[in-house]
Amino acid sequence: MTELIKEEKIKAALEAKFPGVISNAAVQRKNRVWLDAAPAALPEILAWLKAEGFEYLSTVTGFDEGENLGAFYHVNNNSMVVNVKVNTPRAKPEIPSILSVFPVAVSYEKELEDTLGIKVLGLPPGRRYPLAEDFPVGQYPLRKDWKTEDYLAQQAALKTEAK
Amino acid sequence: MTPDSILPSLAYITIFPGFLFLAVYGLYLQWVDRKLCAVMQNRMGPPLIQPLADFIKLLAKEVIVPDAADSRMFRLLPFFAMAAVMTAVISIPVGAHALCSFQGDMVVVIYLLTIPTVTFFLAGWSSTSPYATVGAMRVLTQLFAYEVPLMLALIGPAILAGSWNLTEISAFFAAKPYLIPTQLLGFLAGIIALQGKLERMPFDIPHAKNEIVGGQFTEYSGRLLAFFYLAIDMELVVGAALLNAVFLGGSLGLTGWAAIPVFLAKTLAITFLLALLKVLMARIRIEQMVNFCWKYLAPAAIIQILADIVLKYKLG
Amino acid sequence: MSKITIPLGPQHPALKEPENFMLVLEGEQISGATVNLGYNHRGMEKAAESRTYLQTMYLLERVCGICSHSHTTTYITNVEELAKAEIPQRALAIRTLIAELERVHSHLLWLGVAGYEMGFETLFMYTWRDREQVLDCLELLSGNRVHYSMNTIGGVRRDISIEQKAEVSRRIKFLEERTRYYIKIGTEEPTVAARTANVGMLPPAVALERGAVGPTARASGIARDVRKDEPYLIYDQLDFKLITHNTNDVFGRLVVRVLELVESYKMIHQILNNLPEGPIAVKVPMKIAPGEAVNRYEAPRGEDIHYLKSNGTDKPERVKVRAPTLANLQSVAYMLEGGWLADVPLVIAAIDPCMSCTDRASVWDPKKGKMALYGWEEMRKLGIEHYKKRGVNFSGL
Repeated sequence: MTELIKEEKIKAALEAKFPGVISNAAVQRKNRVWLDAAPAALPEILAWLKAEGFEYLSTVTGFDEGENLGAFYHVNNNSMVVNVKVNTPRAKPEIPSILSVFPVAVSYEKELEDTLGIKVLGLPPGRRYPLAEDFPVGQYPLRKDWKTEDYLAQQAALKTEAK
Repeated sequence: MTPDSILPSLAYITIFPGFLFLAVYGLYLQWVDRKLCAVMQNRMGPPLIQPLADFIKLLAKEVIVPDAADSRMFRLLPFFAMAAVMTAVISIPVGAHALCSFQGDMVVVIYLLTIPTVTFFLAGWSSTSPYATVGAMRVLTQLFAYEVPLMLALIGPAILAGSWNLTEISAFFAAKPYLIPTQLLGFLAGIIALQGKLERMPFDIPHAKNEIVGGQFTEYSGRLLAFFYLAIDMELVVGAALLNAVFLGGSLGLTGWAAIPVFLAKTLAITFLLALLKVLMARIRIEQMVNFCWKYLAPAAIIQILADIVLKYKLG
Repeated sequence: MSKITIPLGPQHPALKEPENFMLVLEGEQISGATVNLGYNHRGMEKAAESRTYLQTMYLLERVCGICSHSHTTTYITNVEELAKAEIPQRALAIRTLIAELERVHSHLLWLGVAGYEMGFETLFMYTWRDREQVLDCLELLSGNRVHYSMNTIGGVRRDISIEQKAEVSRRIKFLEERTRYYIKIGTEEPTVAARTANVGMLPPAVALERGAVGPTARASGIARDVRKDEPYLIYDQLDFKLITHNTNDVFGRLVVRVLELVESYKMIHQILNNLPEGPIAVKVPMKIAPGEAVNRYEAPRGEDIHYLKSNGTDKPERVKVRAPTLANLQSVAYMLEGGWLADVPLVIAAIDPCMSCTDRASVWDPKKGKMALYGWEEMRKLGIEHYKKRGVNFSGL
């Protein structure tokens, strides 16, 4: 389509620059480009995008797709949003930190660790975010197998014990 | 002293214009101030009884003394503040004469009015909490900013009247009311410095609530806090009375009961000016306050002094 | 002088919502600041996964008390994109109208909060009084003052009548006049200038690096506004200016916000004058085909971004919300360092962190000695009489 020239250009440039690392790149509609990336190459891809004018990381969306955990990195150059998706196996979820490229990502990466249990390699230790300090360690509420009912039942059990 | 002179003196100290009058009129002025601000800000404002109700409510609340604070000093400070303010009023002429009038009483009054500020500092410092400590430091910094302009502003009329006696100064201006307008610059400097002394907006920096919560009073509660607030209200009356005596000719030569309405009217007018300042401005930063006081306020007061010296020479 | 560490929050008079700033003070100056968040995590993203699309909309409306319309609009734009629904122009125009009214209400609120934080209570009282006008507009149009719930999947819930149009534009005209006065106060009052100029500096390079959004970024000279960059709703048909300022400080943020008010009034008049005719909603099926969508929205505080993944059922698979405040908080630590303690509340308030408001009041009548619950009309009458005595006549509104 003619009106999607800019989007196709970015997509083609990414595929040419990172062959074998990027898959499933697609232009969804005007201003939206989606692509899958290998986790190891993530900081490199984002650094390239940043140099291309995609200077602003809107947010990082963590997800749970059963087999895989992962995250979307939504970067934009104000008008066009490129969504970079990385997958990581559920058994050993690890994603490299992108703080060297986007220092602003610190709270988004903490969120990945806290709510999905994805280990972000290279994230400096600190206070947990966004869950409460007394939330049990090792429970990741945004995973699909984490059920609110179980958690509430567990909390009730703890309370009866205390009595 | 004979019984004849003791009784009126006692009445002067305890009833009028001493403790009772100061307390009641202080609460009233607090209400006037709050109401005026409310009206200027398009609000309803509190009912007349509100300041008294606040005071009584605070009296009934529990007093909590921080573990780290020196308990005795912590408890005594509000009373020191109040005692100093009440002592100051003995030398300020509310009618035609003050109870205890002597050459140099103006200096004594100024220093007595500094004591409450020092107790505020000690209150904050002895509370040992971070907010109170910052508040205490601000109290002291601010003291060095407004105290000199206030002193300088009061010196001008004293030079013109050729006396350090408050009663004589007010008698001098009462006898020559046409000289009162010449003191305008000093009066304005005095009003602004008084605003700083009373720690009111825009100079409420030591207890700026959105920065350091309650400032020097953060750890105070119950009746100790109530007495601190009462001392501040009394200080408002005494401060207004002081400006009245020095700049506005006191009772304008009237004596006895007739002097009281004049006194009330003029202190109310000064309260109005103070409320106006409070409404019109945003709170400034402590370093801006120091800058302002030294760069503009003190020079203004000095210009007034020079003008007064020239004026005195011209008048002979 | 020794260093003192002062905690600001989670409970503090300057903060309306729980967040924590640890400030290291040297005298009055700040030598270090850290921001701690997460005191208010409500688990909405998890909760959204167990609700239908429509229920999720009402849940997301409660993300924020002030930009309630922003979050629902972003969310339903995602839903409608996935459902491939064609939304009628009239519905889009009404959504835009509510969005701009919300911006007016939010910016006026901010102006009051800024006045309060800099110790200028008169400004606070004045702006919040005038803000009632726009809240009345919103109530008139939607039935609610704060959570308007104007959106529904496929369009809007209520139509706008001719009388309502006239009423809204009358009130907006009044606000235009008041805003001119605030522009004057904000730019000419010396103490306001003293408190805001060169305070909370955020150079453009740092603003870019830390991902500042909304008025915070625009006051640092960055022309970042989703309404211009990627027009949604009917913003591509409206004529408005993108306001930026280059002083990089709190003063700039104040100027940007008051000038944006003027632009919003302009847009509101344009929408009201050219409201397209037609239906206000279309039917959208309960179940949405699998897909993913990302949409952005310029909330009063900055860019709001939502990610939505559907899985073919009537419940979303994953909803991600990123409110503008989170993006801007990264800049706050930078702005605080090296500044004065006295400026901390103002600097924090300058990014306009969210807070909620309440409605209605009960009044104690001392003469009758009983609690009287005032109805809306009675309270309005009382208010009008009260202001009439003070020379401001609202009865024409």
